[in-house]
Amino acid sequence: MARKLLLDKANVSGITGFEVYRREGGYRSVEKALKMAPAEIVEEVKKSGLRGRGGAGFPTGMKWSFIAKPEGVPRHLVVNADESEPGTFKDRYLMEFIPHLLIEGMVVSSFALGSNVSYIYIRGEYAWIPDILEKAINEAKANGFLGKNILGTGFDCEIYVQRGAGAYICGEETALIESLEGKRGNPRIKPPFPAIKGLWERPTVVNNVETIAAVVPIINEGGEEYAKIGVGKSTGTKLISACGNINKPGVYEIDMTISVEDFIFSDEYCGGIPNGKKLKACIPGGSSVPILPANLLLTTAKGEKRLMNYESLSDGGFATGSMMGSGGFIVLDEDQCVVKNTMTLARFYHHESCGQCSPCREGTGWMERILKKIDSGKGDMKDIDLLWDIQRKIEGNTICPLGDAAAWPVAAAIRHFRDEFEWHVLNPEKCLTENFGLRHYADPIHVPVTA
Amino acid sequence: MNVQFSQEKLDKVSEIIKRYPEGKQKSALLPVLHMAQDTFGGWLDTPVMDYVATLLQIEPIEVYEVASFYSMYNLKPVGKYLFEVCQTGPCMVNGSDNIIDYIKSKLHIGVGETTADGLFTLKTVECLGACGYAPMMQLGKTYREHLTKEKVDAIVEECRQKAAINN
Repeated sequence: MARKLLLDKANVSGITGFEVYRREGGYRSVEKALKMAPAEIVEEVKKSGLRGRGGAGFPTGMKWSFIAKPEGVPRHLVVNADESEPGTFKDRYLMEFIPHLLIEGMVVSSFALGSNVSYIYIRGEYAWIPDILEKAINEAKANGFLGKNILGTGFDCEIYVQRGAGAYICGEETALIESLEGKRGNPRIKPPFPAIKGLWERPTVVNNVETIAAVVPIINEGGEEYAKIGVGKSTGTKLISACGNINKPGVYEIDMTISVEDFIFSDEYCGGIPNGKKLKACIPGGSSVPILPANLLLTTAKGEKRLMNYESLSDGGFATGSMMGSGGFIVLDEDQCVVKNTMTLARFYHHESCGQCSPCREGTGWMERILKKIDSGKGDMKDIDLLWDIQRKIEGNTICPLGDAAAWPVAAAIRHFRDEFEWHVLNPEKCLTENFGLRHYADPIHVPVTA
Repeated sequence: MNVQFSQEKLDKVSEIIKRYPEGKQKSALLPVLHMAQDTFGGWLDTPVMDYVATLLQIEPIEVYEVASFYSMYNLKPVGKYLFEVCQTGPCMVNGSDNIIDYIKSKLHIGVGETTADGLFTLKTVECLGACGYAPMMQLGKTYREHLTKEKVDAIVEECRQKAAINN
């Protein structure tokens, strides 16, 4: 059984309340951190190797060290709880079941960054969670861990929860900042980065919920201890939200040394695929990362077992690998149609494009329409090439990564499942009632022998 | 309709504005629009948006452009109970199409339509972050998960009963 640093206590009865949380060792990191210098905390986070858990995987300590400190200008920590990447529902779990862990991490992080007013920006649809968080905030304040003069150290910190209103794009940090300023969620051109000019033009750090929660064990145990868990640059634990065709969908905390195969088939995690069906494909890190056929998912192109961590999931690049992303793990069984699944994702990105950059605004709509055409048996062979061409023209040509996020799933679907697309074109009637099925997607990979 | 918050709600608006620095009251726009939609019939009519603009001392256009950007703000009247059914990948894989079809046939409405009695509106939405509990829909402040036909029946019945009590 892997070690749990975040969800270890999530099932303790009453843990959403301050008293139980405190009894279970909660807020120790605040007591410890407030005796340290802010720079020392940043140093511990650097040593821990913690990488942003929202999807991009950028080293958190480094991000923190970029924050500008102009004299007399307030700085802000903003927690990104705008969890919206299809397949991802881990932050919701953390906030719902162990809300004090986020608040505790925020107090420590706010102290490290010099933020006296910090915000949680939560997606509007999670409408019942702000009440849970605000209860935790009030309890922390009543017990001296938040508010004025925390633990008599002279450090003041307020935390406010702000609800979004339905926009995936607000998970992009500059769009989130715009939204928090009461505007449309249009991403900003970078530079300047938020660390220099963020919320109300003040230096700002935006971090994912899980990232901030991970600061708690890092401070409690020390950065070096945290870094001992995991492998390589995938240190600590990661929350994975597993869904699709599996027996046990849910949120799992893993230590990044387990194999993808074990994660899907062991009873400790997903518990295998229902109804004796076979594994066909998987999107391992949220809808924007490349989909992989079963064979490349379980084994890298070099023939090694693929592991659930940043390096291994991306082994082989986009040609034969994928990404850890947000940890949204979507499993497809042999009865699923990759064309249709890709169509729903293209529709999602079209719906969520903010409309600022034409390659994304127009391109996502074209991709959705062409995929609908192929899925409904009205496609041409040249549509597949057109789709490939459009995604290439979106990628890298937009202000924010939503364009890439929309292009990658389409590219990967064509790259690995081109014959399924062609089958739709060649069998316009059959494809309406039947599925292409598993075919060769789980066959062992031919590994070239090198001397 | 008289577009005016109660004193209690006006106090809440002032409290929200205090969360931001002086002069940055525009930051309160999203929360205040949520309050306005909840208070004034479940959607944002132009007079409601103009009222919000006055409250926050911003131009009406600043409210319109935000209200039209975010999917949770309704710019047209909706039924008393809004069924927002997720249709993105993970929900589709778990049968959201069947749920949508079932609601359509049960309530005799299409997507985006409202029942003649004004009780129900059906909307399809994109990923709501409940992929492990699919298929699902949002109903007011709650998520209804692991949907089946039987569950849909029960939810419709629950809404009808609530509406009958409120009348």
